[in-house]
Amino acid sequence: MFKNYIKIAWRNLFKNRVFTAANIVGLTLAFAVALLLTMTALFELSYDQFHVNKASVYQVYYSNQTPKGSDISTANPVPLAPTLKAEVPGVKHIARALSENALVSYGDNDFNLDGEFVDADYFSIFSFPTLIGNTNYPFPDQNSVSLTEEASKKLFGTTDGIGKTVRILIGKEEKPFTVSSILKNIPDNSSVSFDIAIPFENHWDYKEYTDDWDSQNHPVYLQLADGVSKSQFEESTVAFTLLHKEEQMNNMKRDGAQPDVNGNYSQLNLLPYTDKRFANFNSGALQIKRTFPYMILGIAFLIIFIACANFVNMNIALGEKRLKEIGMRKTLGAVKGQLFGQFWLESLLVFGIAIVLAILLSNLLIGPYKTLFNTNATFANLMTPVILGIFLMGIFLVTLITGGYPALLLSKLNTLKALKGKWELGKNGVRNALIVVQFVIAIVLITGTLVFQGQLQFMRSKNLGFNKEQVVSIPLNGKKDSYRVVELMRNELNGNSNILSVTGSDNNLGRGKDGSMSTSKFGFEHKGRVVNSNVLNVDYDYAKTLDIQLLEGRMFSREYSADSLSMVINEAMVKELNEEDNPLSTRIYFDEDSVAYNVIGVLKDYNHQDISKSIEPLTFFLDKNYDLYYAYVKVAPADMANSFDTIKSAWQKVEPNAEFLGSFLDENIDRTFRREKSMATIITAGSILGIVLSCIGLFAMSLLVVAQRTKEIGVRKVIGASTSSITILLTKDFLKLVGIAFVIGAPIAWYALDKWLQDYAFRVPLSIWFFVGAGLLAALIALLTVGARTMKAAAANPVKSLRTE
Amino acid sequence: MLLQLRNIFKWVQQGGQRIFLLKDINLEVQEGEFISIMGPSGSGKSTLLNVIGMLDTFDEGEYDFLSESVHTLKEKYRSNLYKEYIGFVFQSYHLLDDLTVEENLEMPLLYKKIKSSERKALVADMLDRFSIVGKKDLFPTQLSGGQQQLVGVARALIGKPKLILADEPTGNLNSQQSEEIMQLFKKLNKEEGVTIIQVTHSEKNAAYGSRIINLLDGRKI
Repeated sequence: MFKNYIKIAWRNLFKNRVFTAANIVGLTLAFAVALLLTMTALFELSYDQFHVNKASVYQVYYSNQTPKGSDISTANPVPLAPTLKAEVPGVKHIARALSENALVSYGDNDFNLDGEFVDADYFSIFSFPTLIGNTNYPFPDQNSVSLTEEASKKLFGTTDGIGKTVRILIGKEEKPFTVSSILKNIPDNSSVSFDIAIPFENHWDYKEYTDDWDSQNHPVYLQLADGVSKSQFEESTVAFTLLHKEEQMNNMKRDGAQPDVNGNYSQLNLLPYTDKRFANFNSGALQIKRTFPYMILGIAFLIIFIACANFVNMNIALGEKRLKEIGMRKTLGAVKGQLFGQFWLESLLVFGIAIVLAILLSNLLIGPYKTLFNTNATFANLMTPVILGIFLMGIFLVTLITGGYPALLLSKLNTLKALKGKWELGKNGVRNALIVVQFVIAIVLITGTLVFQGQLQFMRSKNLGFNKEQVVSIPLNGKKDSYRVVELMRNELNGNSNILSVTGSDNNLGRGKDGSMSTSKFGFEHKGRVVNSNVLNVDYDYAKTLDIQLLEGRMFSREYSADSLSMVINEAMVKELNEEDNPLSTRIYFDEDSVAYNVIGVLKDYNHQDISKSIEPLTFFLDKNYDLYYAYVKVAPADMANSFDTIKSAWQKVEPNAEFLGSFLDENIDRTFRREKSMATIITAGSILGIVLSCIGLFAMSLLVVAQRTKEIGVRKVIGASTSSITILLTKDFLKLVGIAFVIGAPIAWYALDKWLQDYAFRVPLSIWFFVGAGLLAALIALLTVGARTMKAAAANPVKSLRTE
Repeated sequence: MLLQLRNIFKWVQQGGQRIFLLKDINLEVQEGEFISIMGPSGSGKSTLLNVIGMLDTFDEGEYDFLSESVHTLKEKYRSNLYKEYIGFVFQSYHLLDDLTVEENLEMPLLYKKIKSSERKALVADMLDRFSIVGKKDLFPTQLSGGQQQLVGVARALIGKPKLILADEPTGNLNSQQSEEIMQLFKKLNKEEGVTIIQVTHSEKNAAYGSRIINLLDGRKI
């Protein structure tokens, strides 16, 4: 019996090979893409899940009430961690962690490694297992460091670097350290990643800030003791915060901040570590958004839905050709269950082929996919029993429903009617509903594509207020004094007509090849009020090099010796200081007894941070006590590639031991919206695939509808209808469905995209044309798909079509 | 007695009116009979045949088949009953185009859950008996109409039914092919005692039967 079913199924699939191919191609593409997307989504969701203690590990952050609303700070003062553990019960382990590039030397070679300055407890909290060396005491003393396998290989050429001594540049001097343990490489799905872990106390800022509660520069992680809950612990820190942040809280009160619901001006909170990757503090409150992985999962699901809808529609429609077989089988004694089994088996066959092909295809595509979408996800991430189980269940369910529904319809048919080839398809309700849903999905995805690409284009082409095309930024990752390096670069490049200007600062614009991004903020009292600002330490020629417009006053200049006591501010800072009338007369005392700083210039606002943020107050200093971390070189618009090489060779002369990581600022800016880019690519790919699949389905339906209505077409033509009127008649029905889909899809798309765009301070306006464009595109594609076939049918000789009766 | 119909009525509702397809049909069929049902188009011949074959339902009356009351049976039991005892022959053969002659013959046996070896034997037997061994691997479309109907009859017979229902079995055949099929029916009836009920338009074919039932507008006359 089974063999007979397979045989019949095989011959049938072969007979309807156009449809079979359409189905298999559609399902294969859908499954393959869905597999890849699901892989990416699950990989995103698996971030930090490998930590054994993940249920009790948290990151500490403070919610501060300011006159402008609440504000969140994840940076903490150095004494906080040890004091918190000593004074508030419930902390099992607590560790400070400060990410900083570490210049490590071994022999004659210098290596720029991703450093993490941590307390020893760090390794009790997190699961970064030790390969060699003592797991419990990765730092036997303060002169030990832990390397990852990879870093050890890079430094020593072997993964066993235990006991070797390396020199690390701490501040301005090199100190020797002994490698005491080798860690397993940090997994790809970890939100922190480092090459070398160094005892926290070695950080150059440590001594100065050991007891300073006002300077904050590192995150703190803790593991709660067993049985202590997050809210319990947060509540029990109120007194602690009152004690140690008294002055700050008094200032907040004085400046008119409103306390939070519990009457606190500053509250210590815990962020579950597994939420870290999805946490966003931009709005002043913690927001955990897993939009990205869920969106990807959603797209995967929608694509599978479209392909399955095609399958259902085609199978039902093709069933018509098999009515005789169904009737005959029933007269020969087949019962409903047997027929259902037979048709379901056929569906299973198609699904089976598609799934096997999809697995092959996705394995072939995974390389390009990973580059294109910039993900480290692999199938190996997914090979857990639970995920495999869910995956198999999912496939089983999809097959059961999509294969089962047409099978059920066919097997329920009345024997006699089937034998006579009559089948009341009802009003084609299910078919039309499925087509509408397919096009709703397609329209939502197309709109999404247009808006995402629009936003991306907007962000790319937005005038950021500085020259991003002509400026190269170079991370200063060598051992030499940074001011000297900038000066040497200036001299080296001097006289080259293509190099216009050189400067430096302690922060980058965008994300450079060194991959780091940071923010420095400070606060002080001005006219009886706390004022907060971002701070940037710059070298001479900063505004000139970056083409930032000077609104009032002047920039730092070599001609004024007192410029180390001067500051330049941006427009936002003018507002923050409330000195709109005459900003240049502002004098600022950072401490009660300190000297006054003069505001000497006002720069036009430019996007000094991530473009998703609005422009914050910014203050510039020229203070040689603080290092520069980046050099900027402005080049002439002509022959930029050559100029870039010139800069590179100059760098190699100035810092022969350090790798050149320079890049144009527009590349850096592009790198900051890598995520938006992957999202846009994924949604674009998704919508193209969605449209293609919908069209395969629509095309198949048009073939079948034309076949169903052959007689009607013949009769109409005999009566005198023209070819064009018949084409319109046939096409109209499909376009109506697209119209309905537009009416349903546009509001959904509007709602979702409006919500998404809210995350961006600078965003493209959600114009109606995005929606109209998507609708028209969908209609046009539908028209082309259906039109070809219907026109042919309409042009056919009516005698032929009538004879089929 | 093979089957008995008592006061069978069948109708459809059309515009608030009942149109009767069968009206008060009473019929007894003994084993070994060869009955021809005749009547003009639309007189209910095929409907009656379908009711007898349990492919169609009726609205009123009683139907006993081998002393089972068909009108009270569920689909599954009805299907068991007719696949066991009834073979169908159709005007347009209704062979499955996707199966070879051999596979077409095998199909009813599959639904009767007969073992593979036995199936092979029965099919071989049937091919032999109808002298179509050479055609066993051909598909129906490769055969002439007469040959297709021959396969149709063979398929109806393979399950060893007590009753064969034939709906204008020669309607699509030329006179020589018709003659052959009718001779075959006669032989089956005489030599093997298979009960046959056929619907036909042709007086000549009707004459092969032992009894003729005439229908007009759903009534026996």
